[in-house]
Amino acid sequence: MINRPNTPTAAEAVLWAFASGLFAWTLGNPLPAIAHGVQLTHQTLEAVEVQALFDNGDPISNAQITVYAPTDPETPWQEGTADKNGRFLFAPDPSLAGNWAVRVRQAGHGAILNVAIAPGPSPEAAVAPPDATGVPEVAPSSQTLSVRSPSVNPLPTGLAIASGVWGFVGTALFFSRFNGNGRGGPRKKEDSVA
Amino acid sequence: MHIPDGILPASLCIAGYGATGAATWYSLRQINRDRNPQAQIPKASLLTAAFFVASWIHIPVPPVSVHLVLNGLLGTVLGYYAFPAILIGLFFQAIMFGHGGLTTLGVNAILMGIPALIAYQIFQMRHWFKTQWGNITLSLFAFLAGGIGLGLAAAIFFVLIITTIPGELDVTTEKNAIYGLMLAHIPLMLIEGLFTAMLVIFLNRVKPELIGD
Repeated sequence: MINRPNTPTAAEAVLWAFASGLFAWTLGNPLPAIAHGVQLTHQTLEAVEVQALFDNGDPISNAQITVYAPTDPETPWQEGTADKNGRFLFAPDPSLAGNWAVRVRQAGHGAILNVAIAPGPSPEAAVAPPDATGVPEVAPSSQTLSVRSPSVNPLPTGLAIASGVWGFVGTALFFSRFNGNGRGGPRKKEDSVA
Repeated sequence: MHIPDGILPASLCIAGYGATGAATWYSLRQINRDRNPQAQIPKASLLTAAFFVASWIHIPVPPVSVHLVLNGLLGTVLGYYAFPAILIGLFFQAIMFGHGGLTTLGVNAILMGIPALIAYQIFQMRHWFKTQWGNITLSLFAFLAGGIGLGLAAAIFFVLIITTIPGELDVTTEKNAIYGLMLAHIPLMLIEGLFTAMLVIFLNRVKPELIGD
């Protein structure tokens, strides 16, 4: 047997040439790398909590909230939705002191609340490692917004209703004196409100 | 049902005041044609008290709750006195409790007062049906007047609100909320219709002249 040196066949030569060319091309043109590093940051901010209630005390669930900065009362600074208890939290920019307007609306009912934000030093921002414990601390300054009524307290409201009713009933009694046909309408006994 | 301040554009509020002025003038002119315009004032005043209190009577219609309005009832029982009565009731609701608002007082008076006058006309149609079932006709037309009076007010409210949704809101969400509230007023129409019929039957039994002819 004669040991012949291994000479590649033409097909092998072409294959090798193609493979090495491909290898060189991938080195020269690296594919874009997909990184999976996540960076989370958190800040401790002063937040304002708005609660929207109907005047009977029911929360306005999922009301639409629009926040306007004091510098621009026309353009919404932030938009959002209250939760099912009518609560909405927003962190006003501390560098914009003044009256922040919060507009609450649902199905044609709504109101505007002005929140006065005093100028203060802005807290330092910190970069946190990506862990699940980085819950931002908020110092809520809770403001209750009662749509359609300034108070949910039943006592003043009840007194006001009673005095209004008494006014109408008194009017009825007053005019019934002038009618020739005696009493004008059924009389109700009302306790007068002192 | 009351449109609060800050929802409608200023032009609509001004137009509402203009229309309310005209409707009040017309109602007062009609009242002045009575033999004794003061005769109905005690009745009107008591029903204004009922209208004033009605908006605190909430009826839960899941997922929302609606309150009584009674504008159809006032129209049915008071006739032309209903418009000034509703205007006065709304004024006190606005200044004492913030129900509705002073800028929208004109619009609110139109959306509750005009349906009340229409309810009165519906109630008057009962005279076309002179049958031996007088009481049934009376209660049926009172029911229709009370229900339709509220239904028309609700319809005007929703048209005004839907056509003036500001651009910065999520229009779809707002429209869905409005449709939900609109549906909730259908049971209220039945309730107010029944309420009106019961009151008319009661007055007819106790003091028929209070209903008029």
